Amino acid sequence: MYKLYIEKNISSKSFLEKVLKENNIHDEIVYNDYGKPYLKNNEIYFNISHSHNVTVLVISDGEVGVDIEKVTMREKVIAKICTEEEKKLIKSAEDFTLLWVKKESYVKYLGLGLAYNLHDVDTLKLEFITMQYEDYYIAIYGTNLN
Amino acid sequence: MKEEIIALVSEVLEVPKEKINEKTNLVSDLDVESLDLVDLIAAFETKYQIEIADKDIKKLQTIGDIIKYIESKNV
Repeated sequence: MYKLYIEKNISSKSFLEKVLKENNIHDEIVYNDYGKPYLKNNEIYFNISHSHNVTVLVISDGEVGVDIEKVTMREKVIAKICTEEEKKLIKSAEDFTLLWVKKESYVKYLGLGLAYNLHDVDTLKLEFITMQYEDYYIAIYGTNLN
Repeated sequence: MKEEIIALVSEVLEVPKEKINEKTNLVSDLDVESLDLVDLIAAFETKYQIEIADKDIKKLQTIGDIIKYIESKNV
């Protein structure tokens, strides 16, 4: 099970504080070696992402990663991070953005930051929850999402 | 080399060159997020025909770090 929150013009810190309060969670934030934040004393996981002025936050009872990005196209990034099969499927900025948020959400799920090679994330072999919010795409990857 | 790298950063991030110098921090000064960072890395790799290992990316925090790193690749 997961809950998704989206808000504009709010810092990640304030947003997290607000959502934790709404869910009656009072806890300390701790970080893993790669900087991924966790709650110290609760088996509740969360992840935050922002793009421009939009911030998205997911809380879940399993490990989770989320990413949001405004629709964009980056040709050099495609060459660097996509598998040959993924490259064939990118026909538009929307396709690219969706692929990017999928890869990022998976890496954020793993909690390894940039130490993990995005090229190794084969989005065609993984299952994501994706959605569109205005001209942004959001992807969530996690365990126990359903 | 320095001017060339600043010009490339300016072009990729769409930030005026005047706002970039060796001390400029990618995250705290230029608000670089992961997509911008990967785009920048890809631009450096293409321009200088080098490979920047993922483990090295976190060392590249300032423009000065990038200049030194690319120079160390004997470009």
